[in-house]
Amino acid sequence: MMYCNYCKVYIRDKKEKCPLCGNVLPDNGNIEEAEDIYPVIPLTYRRHILVRILVFISVVAIVASYLVYKIFPTSVNWPGFVLLGLISAWLSLVYVLRKRHNITKTITWQVIIVSGLVIFWDLKIGWKGWSLDYVVPFLCIAAMIVMYITAKVLRLSARDYISYFLLGGLFGIVPILFILLDLVKVTYPSMISVGGSIVFLSAIIIFQGNNIKEELRKRMHI
Amino acid sequence: MNHSKRVEWSRLDNASKYFAATYSEKDEKVFRLSCEFFEEVDPEILQQALDETIERFPYYRSVLRRGIFWYYLENSDIHPLVEKEDKPVCAPIYRKYERKLLFRVLYYNKRISIEVFHALSDGTGALRFMMTLVYYYLLIKYRDEFSDQIPELSYNASISEKKDDSFNRYYQGRHFKKQVKSKKEKKKSKKVYRLKGTRFEENRVKIIEGTMSAKAVLDEAHKYNTTMTVFLSAILLRSIYMDMPVRKKDYSLVLSVPINLRQYFKSETASNFFSTMNIEYNFGKGSMDLSEVIESLNESFRKELTEERLNEHLNWQMSIEKNLFARVLPLPLKNLFVRIADEVVERRTTACISNLGRIQMPSQFDGYIRQFIVVPNVRRPQLAVCSYGDKMVVTFGSPFEETEVLKNFFKSLSEMGIKIEISSNM
Repeated sequence: MMYCNYCKVYIRDKKEKCPLCGNVLPDNGNIEEAEDIYPVIPLTYRRHILVRILVFISVVAIVASYLVYKIFPTSVNWPGFVLLGLISAWLSLVYVLRKRHNITKTITWQVIIVSGLVIFWDLKIGWKGWSLDYVVPFLCIAAMIVMYITAKVLRLSARDYISYFLLGGLFGIVPILFILLDLVKVTYPSMISVGGSIVFLSAIIIFQGNNIKEELRKRMHI
Repeated sequence: MNHSKRVEWSRLDNASKYFAATYSEKDEKVFRLSCEFFEEVDPEILQQALDETIERFPYYRSVLRRGIFWYYLENSDIHPLVEKEDKPVCAPIYRKYERKLLFRVLYYNKRISIEVFHALSDGTGALRFMMTLVYYYLLIKYRDEFSDQIPELSYNASISEKKDDSFNRYYQGRHFKKQVKSKKEKKKSKKVYRLKGTRFEENRVKIIEGTMSAKAVLDEAHKYNTTMTVFLSAILLRSIYMDMPVRKKDYSLVLSVPINLRQYFKSETASNFFSTMNIEYNFGKGSMDLSEVIESLNESFRKELTEERLNEHLNWQMSIEKNLFARVLPLPLKNLFVRIADEVVERRTTACISNLGRIQMPSQFDGYIRQFIVVPNVRRPQLAVCSYGDKMVVTFGSPFEETEVLKNFFKSLSEMGIKIEISSNM
């Protein structure tokens, strides 16, 4: 074993310097006798490098579009759309990344975020009503179908998806407000969404009622 | 949708609630227990031993989940696998949205280690898991040697005892009145000295373990008529004092010392069951004489380690959790308050020392096990001790590059003529 004359201690593992005082160890022990006790772990830099590249590309895109717009002006303020589009995409992406370990949760969040964004876009480009007419109801229907398929394919257990199924089903009923408040010109997508949700909800309540109760008890315990 | 079996879940005990709320990048609340053999570890046998062990500690299959008001532990059917050590010591375990086990089993050359998220268990609880793992490992590996007489493990508890929430068991209820109104003996509170330094990249921690003879150290401690923990605490305090800048020499030093409550309240739990006491000492203009420090510490330890004080503390801890207002607060807000309170306490803490004590394994294993090592979770310089046979291992964990205090500590011991073998992760 190596011996540090300054700290008066023996060094078991392979070190050139004393881990205590930092002095170079004298050549007094048999270095080949030194043991390998802790692995050397290199620093990791790879984390988030892809995200950084994407952020950089976004910044370049925004700057470039404004430059082009200033040099070759057009009547439409299209760089504004580039900016908004990127913000929308990022909002969505951040949530997907943060919640990536729970697919049903991700889907639920995406429905909320994307619905908000399309309504906002619709408003921005002079309310034509397409967001409420088509996008939001179809989004709800799609979410329910996708949730059901992922739950089946990934063989998720009931407790993993049940609360999000419940939430998804409840969202699907929201378009009934669009019809009642006369917000939509085309009603059939909303009707399909509401009808589908009621069937979906009744199915999980009838077949998974106990699981829902159990899950709620767990999550809400005080 | 077929009917699945009902999933078992349980509330977190008092200390687990705290750890789940306060883990952070700078302190992941992960600690490690290692066992070093004289021979290389066989990963396949280790896996078999782990399979045996997990059957006896089903509680260790829990995953941590977030409810609206509280965290809770949910049983999972995840099969734990042994891994070759390839991450920094005490790498993060719990991540908010991941559903993974709260411990990992590692091997590297002659060592096996378990790393545990503190919300699952404290050192003593995890040690029981570790001892069982080592027991089955050696039993399977050296089956032939033990064929005539199978060694017996001293730890025997029922499955429900192992996951017992002992905090709750010994909580006397809201009507518990402090029998002794903590006599307002609050001394004029001096400023508390805190160790500062340069953090390692990626928030890594430096681990320095010193192996020495338990008997030699105990002999030194007996010269001062004191126990191992007090003796080491005194040396630690003196090592910190030696490194203090002159302008701060009159600051107080506060050591946080966890107490294993299983020694005072009957419990076999493999979950958390401990309390902490704060030991304050002020060198002032006084001398650095070890006997003076020890005398003062002896007194503080004696005062804190009475059943009365421990009961008081336990009930106080529990009363916070049982407070109706606190209970109905949504989880993120709760976490925020706990973190703030924790930071306030932390500002009055200099360092931490915890002694896991003597580890007892069947005597037939003597020729196979070299030593046990405990690595504490490191937020500030922190020291952990355990011993097996005559091999006592003092592990110093520090998030800072500066090693002055560590050097002082080990040098103090080596200057007493104690032979110390050091190993380190960097």
